[in-house]
Amino acid sequence: MKKILVGAVAALMMTTAANAADKKIGATVSSLEFTFIAVMAKGMTDHAAKLPGVKLQLEDAKNDVANQLSQIQNFIASGVDAIVVNPVDTSATQAMTDAAAKANIPLIFVNRQPINIDTLPEKQAFVASNEVDSGTLETKEMCSILKEKGKGKGANIVVLVGELSNQAAVQRTKDVHDVIATPDCNFMKIVEEQTGGWKRDAGQDIVTNWISKGVKFDAIVANNDDMALGAINALKKNGISTKDIPVGGVDATQEALKAMQDGDLAVTVFQDAVGQGAGSLDTALKILGGAKVEKKVYIPFQLVTPANIKDYLAKN
Amino acid sequence: MRNAGVAMGQVEKQRRKPWPAELNALIGLIAIMLIFEIVGWSLVGQSFLLNKLRLSIMITQVAVVGILAVGVTQVIISGGIDLSGGSIIGASAMIAMSFAQIGTYPRAIFAAQGLVDLPIIVPILVGLLVALMCGLINGALIAYVKLPPFIATLGMMVSARGVALWFTKGQPISFPTNAFMSIGDGLTPVWIFIGIAVLFSLILKYTLYGKHTYAIGSNQAAARMSGINVERHLMLVYVIASLLAGLAGIVLIARSQTAQPVFGTMNELDAIAMTVIGGVSLSGGRGSILGTALGMLIFGVIFSGFIFLSVDAYYQNMVKGAIIVGAVALDQWRQKRQARDA
Repeated sequence: MKKILVGAVAALMMTTAANAADKKIGATVSSLEFTFIAVMAKGMTDHAAKLPGVKLQLEDAKNDVANQLSQIQNFIASGVDAIVVNPVDTSATQAMTDAAAKANIPLIFVNRQPINIDTLPEKQAFVASNEVDSGTLETKEMCSILKEKGKGKGANIVVLVGELSNQAAVQRTKDVHDVIATPDCNFMKIVEEQTGGWKRDAGQDIVTNWISKGVKFDAIVANNDDMALGAINALKKNGISTKDIPVGGVDATQEALKAMQDGDLAVTVFQDAVGQGAGSLDTALKILGGAKVEKKVYIPFQLVTPANIKDYLAKN
Repeated sequence: MRNAGVAMGQVEKQRRKPWPAELNALIGLIAIMLIFEIVGWSLVGQSFLLNKLRLSIMITQVAVVGILAVGVTQVIISGGIDLSGGSIIGASAMIAMSFAQIGTYPRAIFAAQGLVDLPIIVPILVGLLVALMCGLINGALIAYVKLPPFIATLGMMVSARGVALWFTKGQPISFPTNAFMSIGDGLTPVWIFIGIAVLFSLILKYTLYGKHTYAIGSNQAAARMSGINVERHLMLVYVIASLLAGLAGIVLIARSQTAQPVFGTMNELDAIAMTVIGGVSLSGGRGSILGTALGMLIFGVIFSGFIFLSVDAYYQNMVKGAIIVGAVALDQWRQKRQARDA
């Protein structure tokens, strides 16, 4: 009996020894109750299961900053090799950076940009999607749709802008302007641009006002799906077919995907939650492997059109 | 005693007929319309007003806030203020929408309980119930705990927004039934607003409720002395304001076909601005629903007018602010002149 026990302990110790090369990664996410975060967390666990020798410990901070900080301290105390944080509060990230740096453990922020992004020490990085891509993908696709429709000689577009105080709205609108400044798409001309504050009813009201003015437009480019859906409502109410006037949005929300299946929404852009989750682990492993990584690692936004929509129906 | 506010010691002293505050708003409305009409012909080359679609969207786009503003009007006439309307819109919108979803959407909030494809009366009643509870709390804090209305409704503004965010942890709720969406379809929101506005216009003018509201707003102590149950009445005033906010929330989500926790943000301030532009005195006892309706139309006309002239939203806000301040300044000047003439 004793022998067996000793043998078992020895075997156990050997497995532990054999696993010494294993990488233990501790991850804490803001709250699994947010759909996007839950999908991202699943992206992490699925990805970790595929990587040999990687052990992931996932914690839910339940939207509590203090909770998250103590989870990180526990990770450090239990000797994890790397930490992944989806911060509850992006202004509280300095303490996390300090704790990890002191213990010399690599730290990856994911999805939410930490306030100390510009002063991140070595072995720390931020993984997310680059907002510049979303508006660019949307507008480029609209550009090729208009070309296909034979409007490549000149097309008027109208732009629905999100909340003016919001960085994403400013960036996505700038993307529209940048794309139509390229030789490829400079046949497009912005004839009207108004802010609908991300809201569907505002999108509908503004487009109705444009229609009442007799504005001639060939496409509607919205900063988000909700305003795009409002625009579609306005077109339909006034007897204009979405076959003639393509409408684009960003976010790939469930309703937007349904509208695309119904043939109303021409294009939207998907923020890759799974990709961000997996990317955060990959970045952590790269740092552990001694490789140099950029301070900002971008996971590309993905274009969603009727051609590839079935890949996205279950993703969001 | 037709208008208790004026009756309190002013009427006998006035020599000429007072210039009604609503007339200012009407003149302002016509002036703004004419400006857009003239600028429209010279810059856009078309009429601003002679356009059926534009006239209808001008009213439709402000009808929801208009419903809220009717409730705010009677609160302000009673000498109070209500900052919680926008947040109550958000809270009742979210909770009402969760009872309005279609069964074919697998992620409906109450899909597991089978509470989908419900008749539209269910989400309407749920939304109003949420608003009722907010109103009861507002009313109790103001009438019985004697908190200043500004503080009590500021608290509700923060808390009700919390409820809206908590309900789905920030996620939007979508996919309502077609029947529910019909509440927000076409001109229906406008008809609902007109119905509410006419109803409360009559109530304020001809019923005891209205007379007591003006009396309390003019002079609460005097109203109490004359036997009005001020506490019970204020309770009612805030409950009605909240119910109208709830109704506005229901119309808004039917129109948007989605509910989001941020719905109604800043709407309380737009509603207050509409009433003030319409000549409702912030010190209470004076004003009418007609004035508020005119204030609402001014907002609608400006919104459409700026899109008509392709003016950036930045300028819209600047002008909106200036009009609010201008309207009150004009009203102050008018009151002073009246006092001097008397």
